[in-house]
Amino acid sequence: MKRIYIQEEYCIGCRLCEIYCQVKHSKSKKIIKTFKEEKSDIIPRLIVEEIGYNSFAIQCRHCQDAPCVEACISGAMQKNKNTGAVVCDENKCVGCWSCIMACPYGVIKRDISEKKVASKCDLCIDEEVPVCVKNCPNEALKFMEKDTDERNKVKVKNEG
Amino acid sequence: MALKLNQSEFKIERDLSKCISCQVCVRQCSNDVHEYDRDSDVIYSDSSKCVGCHRCESLCPTDALKIKERESQFRINHNWTEEHLRNIYRQADSGGVLLTGMGCNKPYTIYWDRILFNASQVTNPSIDPLREPMEIKTFIGRKPDNLEFEMASGSNNNAAKLKTKLYPQMELSMPIIFSAMSYGSISLNACKSLAEAASESGTYCNTGEGGLHKDLYKYAGNTIVQVASGRYGVDVDYLNKGAAVEIKIGQGAKPGIGGHLPGEKVSRDISDTRMIPEGTDAISPAPHHDIYSIEDLAQLIYALKEATDWSKPVGVKVAAVHNIAPIASGIVRAGADFISIDGMRGGTGAAPQVIRDNVGIPIELAIASVDERLREEGIRHRASVIAAGSIRSSADVVKAIALGADAVYIGTAALVAMGCHLCQKCYTGKCNWGIATQDPYLTKRLNPEIGTRRLVNLLKGWSLEIKEMLGGVGINAIESLRGNREHLRGVGLTDREFKILGIKHAGEAW
Amino acid sequence: MKDKNNIKEIYEIYDYIIIGNSAAGLAAAESIRELDSSGKIVILTEENYKNYSKPLITYYLEGLVDLEGIHFKGKDFYRNNNIDLHINKKVISIEADRDFLICSNEDIYKFKKLLIASGGQPIIPGIKTSCTDIAGGNRDKKGKLLDSINNENYRDIEGIYTLTTLDDALEIKSFIEKNDIRKVSILGGGLIGLKSAEALLGMGMNISIIELADRILAATFDREASFIVENRIISRGSNIYKNSTIEEIFIKDGSISGYRLQDGREEECSLLIIAVGVRPVTGFIKNNSVKIRRGIVVDDYMRTSIKNIYAAGDVVEARDMLLDEKRNIAIWPLAVRQGSIAGINMAGGSEKYNGGFFMNSIEILGIPTISMGLAAIDEKNEKNTEVVKVFNPEEKRYKKVVIRNNRVVGLIMVGNIERAGIYAGLIKNEIDISSVKGNISREYFGIINLPADYKKHLVTGEGIEV
Repeated sequence: MKRIYIQEEYCIGCRLCEIYCQVKHSKSKKIIKTFKEEKSDIIPRLIVEEIGYNSFAIQCRHCQDAPCVEACISGAMQKNKNTGAVVCDENKCVGCWSCIMACPYGVIKRDISEKKVASKCDLCIDEEVPVCVKNCPNEALKFMEKDTDERNKVKVKNEG
Repeated sequence: MALKLNQSEFKIERDLSKCISCQVCVRQCSNDVHEYDRDSDVIYSDSSKCVGCHRCESLCPTDALKIKERESQFRINHNWTEEHLRNIYRQADSGGVLLTGMGCNKPYTIYWDRILFNASQVTNPSIDPLREPMEIKTFIGRKPDNLEFEMASGSNNNAAKLKTKLYPQMELSMPIIFSAMSYGSISLNACKSLAEAASESGTYCNTGEGGLHKDLYKYAGNTIVQVASGRYGVDVDYLNKGAAVEIKIGQGAKPGIGGHLPGEKVSRDISDTRMIPEGTDAISPAPHHDIYSIEDLAQLIYALKEATDWSKPVGVKVAAVHNIAPIASGIVRAGADFISIDGMRGGTGAAPQVIRDNVGIPIELAIASVDERLREEGIRHRASVIAAGSIRSSADVVKAIALGADAVYIGTAALVAMGCHLCQKCYTGKCNWGIATQDPYLTKRLNPEIGTRRLVNLLKGWSLEIKEMLGGVGINAIESLRGNREHLRGVGLTDREFKILGIKHAGEAW
Repeated sequence: MKDKNNIKEIYEIYDYIIIGNSAAGLAAAESIRELDSSGKIVILTEENYKNYSKPLITYYLEGLVDLEGIHFKGKDFYRNNNIDLHINKKVISIEADRDFLICSNEDIYKFKKLLIASGGQPIIPGIKTSCTDIAGGNRDKKGKLLDSINNENYRDIEGIYTLTTLDDALEIKSFIEKNDIRKVSILGGGLIGLKSAEALLGMGMNISIIELADRILAATFDREASFIVENRIISRGSNIYKNSTIEEIFIKDGSISGYRLQDGREEECSLLIIAVGVRPVTGFIKNNSVKIRRGIVVDDYMRTSIKNIYAAGDVVEARDMLLDEKRNIAIWPLAVRQGSIAGINMAGGSEKYNGGFFMNSIEILGIPTISMGLAAIDEKNEKNTEVVKVFNPEEKRYKKVVIRNNRVVGLIMVGNIERAGIYAGLIKNEIDISSVKGNISREYFGIINLPADYKKHLVTGEGIEV
């Protein structure tokens, strides 16, 4: 399954990924209209972290055994068997934030602009390539398959 | 506080109906031109700091920015131009040497734009390069005086074997090489892009005087290693890794003077690559302190050939100056396998403005006179001639070869392909495109994957255009164009210029 | 038809029987079906409903979720996975050595593998009752005399409820509507009490919380965190009685009319929700057939002491990875994981449970809070433990990180819960954070602040080398 990966060394911290994510999830889908009218309501689904000259964008990994799906009390968070994307059904979500508590990447956000719902990357499933990847000016985000097993198995160093 | 006599050079126009205050411009400008005001949710721009690099304009997602040259505020004066006034203001402020970057931008005659190329019509049919073989492969190195063959023994079909031993050559798949740009003047990502693109396209890049970085060792087979006056990074491994060795005597942008990389820019990485202590100034002296005569040069050339076991071409790079023809002759006689001539329009990372703009001669005239002189002396075959100094298009390449060059170096064109907008502020080290800087925040902006791709595309595009032009004139091998002045005509030139260039006026026939 | 041994000859045989139709049971059923596409599976539940999410019942009460939305698996779940669901089946005994179980209506089931996922039930403290009118007397609504409430009789008094099942929520909802209730009292300031409070406050009710400890959420919050939440509740006009409990309940006409606290204060009350705690439902397991302490003790493969019998969810005591002992941690995500692991192992797989730890998320009147691990402890009591706190009561924000042996073992976040899960990852993976300890409690602590190799794992997806 194709997922989004970031090459840290080429992220320039411009945050255009956040901008285009907001446009994609807006009502109008037009960049100027979105920001002139809807700006404060839309949350970008990815997080750009920055310290000094290091920066990278991180979003939902659409894990195989997703901790958020396990923690969801309403069945809103589900992994779609066809696309592989983990998506939150906003109609079922009650805003309990159990997913925010469980996600080890911390990539789920609280959206309280209208109804309380959990907000996260949905892999832009109706697009060929997610909009953050497409619009990164330095091609730091890549949309591809990787061989690694996504079972978050971290082998901890012995008394490291 | 002193009176500020220098106004901004550029004006920033922001279309507020399009600006969404996304702050990409704020984040991307290394000169802190744009600033976001949280209270009013508006971005303010301080034009006085703008250098005109267009980074913000290129990245703005709604196309809300336009960078324009500020309208002149001075009364029109063709003698005391705005530039002269500004330079004096700056110098009165600082008392120092005025620096600049990239190549000479003055309106001296550009001969490329007055030379026209030929095409076949009736007498000599054109060739379609997409249908018939077209050879633009080029060999750089000394060619033998004559060729001797011997018949292969015991065979029926009169096969001949070459008896003459050939001198070492560089094989180029097209007559274009990436110019010398040192690691230090440009970022490592830029060097990687050039090296990888050269490898992929079957041509070469040049280390410049910065030495060869260890990450680039794998491309060493496609790299010309330079021995400059500071001898940075030069040891026997370095010499043997490269595909050829080039002794740098001078460069077109700053003939006759040396170079200076300030200690602040000599990071750990640069210190390792140049083999100098970290934090010390890297000063390249004007002459090589062991070359004070042409005999000394010959000695160095032969020393380098010994050190590399006579296995690769050893050449010399000089700036195009007034007596370039006899200089070139002397260099060839001193044993150089190739000679690179850098015209006055050549680029640089930092040079004093007065020298960049007033010293040297145009490459077109240099090539023509060097080629002529070497042919007259019967030694043209002993060294390849590489032309450098503002080759801007494939047309310039073709004209350069017709004037007598074996190949051309491209420097500025390569950087432009990678994003350079010629703001000429390379010496500040704040290149917003991640090219002429070592600041890690800025060097990230040049993704070598993208850089390589763009350079390969540039070379591919130019190769195709060269083939088209050759085909158009009925030539199917670049060999036939070399020094073939008959295929050039000039317009708007004086008699003297025609004579030096060795070409006829447009309208004149054979 | 019964034979001499009082066992029916007719019984239903299944490959897999699951007692309990909630998080653990359904996760197990799904896992079994993934590995075994033909085995017969049945889920037995004593309730009358298809699956519903117990945590959602307070949301249902508040009106945020309707009876359709309260199902957390799709309505075709049982059919699509070929699972039988038998409702209204209360298991009253298990004959472990003969692989039988018996229900209250005398139905018998025979199993090859059994999963006990019977969950928890509310604890009712024995509280004295007295009447307030001479005519009615100390009687429940059916007229029976009583002198204190207990597990069996509390439902016989109008207006006293617990809130742990959908039926409870439905009844409370209609009670509120029928009697136009505006004030509710909640005995117990723990998780269920506060979740009920969250719903009732959201409905505009005025509430009174009575809590035995010196602060609400005493088991999961420390003083600072409780302080912020308590102030918020009180600022909206509701009451919190701390260090207190109900001494006596007053009854009138078979309904609750009020109560008296330990310190003598009296309150009027027509709706009391008892939420002092839950305990595992193990009453039906007799004869020490399976090892039980407070809950059913299981090993790292969810096996009980009896071969072929597994247990998962709120009913078990499984390994707590922070205390390194077996403990009952009754939270949804662990129930799901344990159920899933039990199911895999029941179907022939071999999946190990790596231990769990407590975590909870609750939002009170717009203040989101998250607590996980050993959050309530303080430095003075523990060895090798450091506590980092950032307390900002004016802005209703608090962050606390508990570190033991350079590993995060506890977290409280109040007000700003962004990226709390990162700490869950640090706890679960036992990451040594000594190199980044200085930043750990920062407001915007992110992946970029984590130790280099763990950060690389998260960002690029490559595992850490051992």
